[in-house]
Amino acid sequence: MKQRDIELLSAYLDGELEPSDSARLEARLKSDPELASVMNDLRATRALLRKLPQRRAPRNFTLTRKMVGQNPPLPRLYPVFRLATALAMLLFFFSFGLNALAPQLTSSQAPAFGMGGGGEPDTFAAQEAPAEAFPTEAPAEEPSIALAAPSPTAIPTDEAAREVEPPLAKGEAESAVAADQTTSLSETPIIPTSWQIGLILLALCGMIAMIWMRRSAARRWQ
Amino acid sequence: MNERALIHDAQQGNLDAFNVLVLHYQDSVFNTALRILGDEDLAADVTQEAFLSAFKSISSFRGGSFKAWLMRTVTNACYDELRRQKRRPTTPLEPETDDGEEMDSPRWLADTALTPDQQAEADELEHAIQHCLDNLPLDFKTVVVMADIQGMDYTEVASAMRVPIGTVKSRLARARLRLRECLRGFEELLPASYRLEEGVNT
Repeated sequence: MKQRDIELLSAYLDGELEPSDSARLEARLKSDPELASVMNDLRATRALLRKLPQRRAPRNFTLTRKMVGQNPPLPRLYPVFRLATALAMLLFFFSFGLNALAPQLTSSQAPAFGMGGGGEPDTFAAQEAPAEAFPTEAPAEEPSIALAAPSPTAIPTDEAAREVEPPLAKGEAESAVAADQTTSLSETPIIPTSWQIGLILLALCGMIAMIWMRRSAARRWQ
Repeated sequence: MNERALIHDAQQGNLDAFNVLVLHYQDSVFNTALRILGDEDLAADVTQEAFLSAFKSISSFRGGSFKAWLMRTVTNACYDELRRQKRRPTTPLEPETDDGEEMDSPRWLADTALTPDQQAEADELEHAIQHCLDNLPLDFKTVVVMADIQGMDYTEVASAMRVPIGTVKSRLARARLRLRECLRGFEELLPASYRLEEGVNT
């Protein structure tokens, strides 16, 4: 038997044939016993399959919220708490970092203090010293003048030395003061410890509130 | 049950609405999985997976027959399970010859596994049909399960399997023909009214 005939018979059984095709097939069935026999077999097979008992589901297959990964609806304030906690934690760690970096920051500022405060007299001294020193070297090149007037050459050198020394002493004193200030600055934290405690307390409170909100939402959800 | 409203609510993420649909269709889905896989425990697992997958992808449902859409989900889950079994085979589903080849005929069951006493039992016929179904190619089996066991029409089957109606017609006819041949081996189990005619050459 042709495959096409089997398909026609199968579709005829299911009422899926066009009326014209059905009529043609019915005419053939009357005249073709082999076709009629196959038709009966297919009908019996189909009836057997349809008679197959439908089993009841062994259990309910309903889904739980956990299975589908659904989270309970959280209160509207939850994101505010989350943001506050995150900010508090961030600021807490930032303050730690800032306080840890404080000595380095102040020590890098200290030389700048020395350059600005105590450095000026040095510069002046350096500028003035060569100008004053010229007369001392000049007699060495011209011995006649040096021999004729040895004392004036010595006086300016001493004066220069005297003029140079006091500013240098002043600079040292100022730099010492600056160093003292630096030490005291490095010892003092930029962010006070009380602030840090406040921040960590805020973060902890926020976390506790978030956990409580989640748990109560989950309880309501169930 | 207002199916459309429930589907709409489920698409909005309403799990309770989806669970009403689950309760309505779980027998059909389970039976489809059972007939395709031939194992109750596996069928139960696959049914659960199918409903889970259906909930996750329900937003992709664009109307039409919800049953057909669900059937597509469960047949896909069955195919995945069968592929998994193929990758990690445990026990052969079909007996092998001495040469290690699978036996072509399903009559081995009637000859060896079923005793006359067992054949008298009511569920033997069901077992015989299940074994005949298991010997069908997967596409044929799916069509026959949907059309003849679940009573879906050709349009629904075509929609569920994403094939043209002509393909459904052809596969169903060939599947019924093969089942008819197979069931001849269990003639003594068949009720008198369902006895198949013999001596017809096809």
